[in-house]
Amino acid sequence: MSGEATAHRAAIDVRGLGIRYNLNLTKRTTLKGSLGTFLRRKHDAPTHFWALHDVSFRVEQGESLGVIGPNGAGKSTLLLALAGILEPSEGRVQVGGRISTLLTLGAGFEPELTGRENIDLVGAFLGVPRKDMEELAPAIIEFAELGAFIDAPVKTYSLGMKSRLGFSIATAVQPDILLLDEVLGTGDQVFRVRSQQRIRELMKSARAIVLVTHDLTYIAEFCNRAILLEQGKIVFEGGPEETVAVYQERVLHQKLLAASDAQRFGGDAPKR
Amino acid sequence: MSTSSRPGARRGIASDAATFVDAPSRGPIALLRQGISDLTTRLYLIRYLVSAELKRTHADTAAGTLWWILDPILQMGVYWVLVAVIFQRTTPDILLFLFVGILPWKWFATTLAETSTCITSRQGLIRQLQFPKLVLPAAATAAGTVSFAFGFVALALLYLLYPHRLSYWILALPVIAAVQFVFTLALGIMLAALNTFFRDVQNVLRHATRLWMYLSPVLYSLDQLEGQDTAKKVLGLNPMAWILSAYRNALYGAEKVNGHGIMPDWLPLFGVLGISVLLLGAAIILFKRAEPSFARILA
Repeated sequence: MSGEATAHRAAIDVRGLGIRYNLNLTKRTTLKGSLGTFLRRKHDAPTHFWALHDVSFRVEQGESLGVIGPNGAGKSTLLLALAGILEPSEGRVQVGGRISTLLTLGAGFEPELTGRENIDLVGAFLGVPRKDMEELAPAIIEFAELGAFIDAPVKTYSLGMKSRLGFSIATAVQPDILLLDEVLGTGDQVFRVRSQQRIRELMKSARAIVLVTHDLTYIAEFCNRAILLEQGKIVFEGGPEETVAVYQERVLHQKLLAASDAQRFGGDAPKR
Repeated sequence: MSTSSRPGARRGIASDAATFVDAPSRGPIALLRQGISDLTTRLYLIRYLVSAELKRTHADTAAGTLWWILDPILQMGVYWVLVAVIFQRTTPDILLFLFVGILPWKWFATTLAETSTCITSRQGLIRQLQFPKLVLPAAATAAGTVSFAFGFVALALLYLLYPHRLSYWILALPVIAAVQFVFTLALGIMLAALNTFFRDVQNVLRHATRLWMYLSPVLYSLDQLEGQDTAKKVLGLNPMAWILSAYRNALYGAEKVNGHGIMPDWLPLFGVLGISVLLLGAAIILFKRAEPSFARILA
């Protein structure tokens, strides 16, 4: 893309994004099931579910955006859309640069292949040219600290080893945009410190980061902006502390509501 | 890195009526071209997937890679019991006769079974990485081809028993296999896409391929159907019948010519090739059209 009127390009530009799941196809995966729902369609439950609706935001180069919200708010769906894995049902997602996803570490590993072969395999999945991958391999192997295991099949690895390898591949490909989903707590204490250090380095080198996490302390520490998602919509956008405070307030509010509902409708309040 | 925007991002609002796919508004020719470039630009990815697949099969067995050769021989033995012992068919050099039908059929049937589930069995991968999905059925078909090639070690052993059956027509083998490869790949790509929407496909397929086998000259040859003109006409509509007959001509020869291989029927074989190429084009278009929905359906 070139010659846009805007003075600079955002790393990520999302406008009116909606992701809709067709419940007929996701739940009923057999012909009979689909026929069944097709015939009953008129007086049945809704056939579509909007995981995200009318979501718009921008992430500038060098920014780090935190995404928080309750379970099922659409956080992970948002990352999938940014990564290009899910196509928007409406609106648009524009991403400038190479994306690396750390959605689940170790995706794409073949258990029968060795760690070294899997580095090439994941590189091939990500479309990184083989020569580039060969140049990156030593650094990846060093960072993952696998020692002699690098030439053993990945099926012999522990979960921690797999995620270490996944993390170092995903961050070594020099992404312009890094998408992270609940992965900062990977591995043992030592690796956690080193991985957080690497994230900081990536942030410094003017990359954009989108981070989804339930651990609100990471938001304050790593992000300079945050959005709060609820039921597929952005309900708040602002500084990290501010957004976390709003989220916590809403959670508390909902808990109080639920508690008072329980008291009103549940008969006896729980006694101590 | 150069900046780029994904083509998917530009597409507008999908109509609510679309239940099958929120179809991209690209024409079939563009989809076809894209599908071909998906494959040609990711050949090295296909190669890695094939080698992973080959390492996985038989990895846990004691005989290991020997199974590549044992498998078709044992299958030949089973059908020999059926055809020669129970039905008392007297075909000369019957082991070779059966083997040249069973080996390519096994390639065909197992490859279809593998490709039909190659998308649905990699749910995690498809939900986590963005890559051209077309490499998956292509890799499954290619892996099947390697195991087919191992069967020729067994074929060589059989020629030790029947040296008089060996002829120069064995050189036609790569051509016949190429036709079968294109035909199998086309069907496999279609099945992979359809099975993602309807898992029934993989169940029906098992029985369909079994029936298809009996309707193909695997355990019998077309000459043995003398006088049964209707049956012959029906078989003429079956591309696999032409492919299998070509193998049998080249590798075994005719039943009555007690000697060596004869020339395959080139004309129908190239007819099958033409149909397969068209089918492959259609399969790629269908697959590319369905591809954007895979991640959503496999949620």
